Amino acid sequence: MAARTFSTTLTGADTRLQAGLAALFVGALLVFGVGLAHSSALHEAAHDTRHAYGFPCH
Amino acid sequence: MIVRIFLAALAAGLIAGLLMTPAQYARLVPLIEQAETYESGGAAYDHGAAPDVDAAVSAGSDSAPASDHHADGHSHDGAGFLHLGRFGNTVLANLVAGGGFALLLAGAALIAGLNFPAGREGVVRGLMLGAAGWFSVQLAPGWGLPPELPGFPYVDLAQRQIWWVSTVALSAVGLYFLVMQPKFAAKILGVALIAAPHLYGAPVPNDISSDVPALLASEYATAALATTLFFWLLLGGLLGFFLSRVDAETVPAEAV
Repeated sequence: MAARTFSTTLTGADTRLQAGLAALFVGALLVFGVGLAHSSALHEAAHDTRHAYGFPCH
Repeated sequence: MIVRIFLAALAAGLIAGLLMTPAQYARLVPLIEQAETYESGGAAYDHGAAPDVDAAVSAGSDSAPASDHHADGHSHDGAGFLHLGRFGNTVLANLVAGGGFALLLAGAALIAGLNFPAGREGVVRGLMLGAAGWFSVQLAPGWGLPPELPGFPYVDLAQRQIWWVSTVALSAVGLYFLVMQPKFAAKILGVALIAAPHLYGAPVPNDISSDVPALLASEYATAALATTLFFWLLLGGLLGFFLSRVDAETVPAEAV
């Protein structure tokens, strides 16, 4: 058959899980820094962003 | 593979995060600035200049300091951080938030077993994934802790943060069971997980009186939900598109 089909799997199951967990971990770190960290410098810098995303603030 | 997936997610996150700034300035930031004039009991203070003087004034006039955070000088100009100014700080924070949310969304998609076929279908799936992110991160926690303006009454910050993070996690897992699992029992479990934090109850203060006008607060809540919906749909759509490219490159097309 001449039809070209793209596989719909991103990667193998193991790599996929590893990549998923790694992405969750790094993403959680970034979101924690922007949205949740109690550092007052971070709070000041991210103030309007925290309010916009509905993070608990103040 | 992992690097490509990260790059795809970060590309989507940075674009969506960049466009979040003008979206915020359209409605949210003006409302925040308006609310800040009520924050210290009606004594407006300038967030733009001379933070030390202002901090001292606001610390002195703050009528209800529910956390020591206010007492140690509460200014929003961010002068102490990279000297970018308020706008620059918000641009930077939005980029980081965009990248962070993009990685979380991509990670969730990978673990949940979502695939992104090339073309329109990948983008449509991405949009639905973005809508799921908006539900889990904005709408569901917003039922208990609506988007706050400065000057709102509040309880201890850590308590609210724990409830917020738990609600986001439970809503995301609950939505997965509700939408992705065919069995009826799994759907019931999903609804139960989404409802659980609300049955438990969000940490809200006993005294909910505030100097911030009610109209301002309700305008802010709708504007925040609308603005973040824009962000999450953009993020999801871009993520679907970029991840479908990773798909196509990683697993080359083969004649069947």
